[in-house]
Amino acid sequence: MFNKDNKLEKFKDAETIIGASIKVKGNFQGQGNIIIEGALEGSLKTEADLFIGEQAKVVANIEAHDAIINGEIQGNVKAKNYLAIGGTAKIFGDVQYGEISIDKGALVNGQLLVLAPEGKRGEKNRLSEKGAEAEK
Amino acid sequence: MHVYIYDEYLNKSKYNKAINRVEIRLTDLGLNGKIIRLGGIKNIKGTIQNEVRLGAKTIIAVGNNQTVNKIIGAIIDTEIYSDFQKKTLLGIIPIGDDNSIAASFGIKDEEEACNILLARRVEKIDLGLVGRHYFLNQATIASAGTTIDIDDYSLEIAEKGEVQIINLLSDPKEKISSNPHDGQLELLVRTRKKDQTFLRIKKIKINNPQEKLIIDGIVEVDTPAEIDIMQNKVNVIVGKDRLFE
Repeated sequence: MFNKDNKLEKFKDAETIIGASIKVKGNFQGQGNIIIEGALEGSLKTEADLFIGEQAKVVANIEAHDAIINGEIQGNVKAKNYLAIGGTAKIFGDVQYGEISIDKGALVNGQLLVLAPEGKRGEKNRLSEKGAEAEK
Repeated sequence: MHVYIYDEYLNKSKYNKAINRVEIRLTDLGLNGKIIRLGGIKNIKGTIQNEVRLGAKTIIAVGNNQTVNKIIGAIIDTEIYSDFQKKTLLGIIPIGDDNSIAASFGIKDEEEACNILLARRVEKIDLGLVGRHYFLNQATIASAGTTIDIDDYSLEIAEKGEVQIINLLSDPKEKISSNPHDGQLELLVRTRKKDQTFLRIKKIKINNPQEKLIIDGIVEVDTPAEIDIMQNKVNVIVGKDRLFE
């Protein structure tokens, strides 16, 4: 998912690619890696990894194993393993993650919640409702 | 016995040399058989079905995509289909233009086709289905104004471009992978803005009030149309340079 310069990069092998000219409506569920560059309304779930491009506009709750977010999401985000929020990302909803990184310039307007590994208690981080910016 | 189905358009004199080359090569390889010329026949389906009933070991489409389409249409989902699937193989000898199906199977020209028939390398191939029409390669439609319903979601496309529903790739330069025996179709959308959409699907409903769906480059179908996949439906003799594993 990351190249050698640690830059957020679209994965090369995706089972599903939604291009910038496409609008998806409904409940989208996949098994493989998914790349979203267009618009999506409804829900989005995959057992594998998810890449949301910079121009993408998603109005949905999304769930994936690893996720890279560079676009706009109105909905809750759940990355069971790793979540990377890029500097152009705007998330209006709650975020659940195993591990997280947030680039400078990202907008997250909601709660951040660490997903506990099985057998351990979870922790909760609350952020102000005006949004958060974090340094890389 | 081998049964060679010659399409009607091969009656034109410009194809005489190609046909002569094919017939000489088949004789040299010991692959002679019965020749049926579709030009003089009214009941094409009945004729083809009869040959299967009589125990044809191989039915060879001598012609182009339309010829293959006629043979498949005469056999699939008919009373003789189960005999065909157990005992008969489909071969292709491409002559003339519109031979993307043969190209997909690694059959480049008429002389190589004869060698491929002798080698008898067989693959079970899925068939795409649109209403009463079958396709081996793909169905295409203009993208602007097209909506596609898939399972619990739909796609809407406003930009100009093309939607392809692919069973078997016909262009060796195409970078997507397509497997014609996995029970799935590939949906590929390319727009003039040069963005690309790709999904693997089994069944969809496609609609565009302004445009028709074109099947294997030869048949036009009105929409809305349901597109489905029938797995491992035809046993085809293929070349080693086929565009799939």
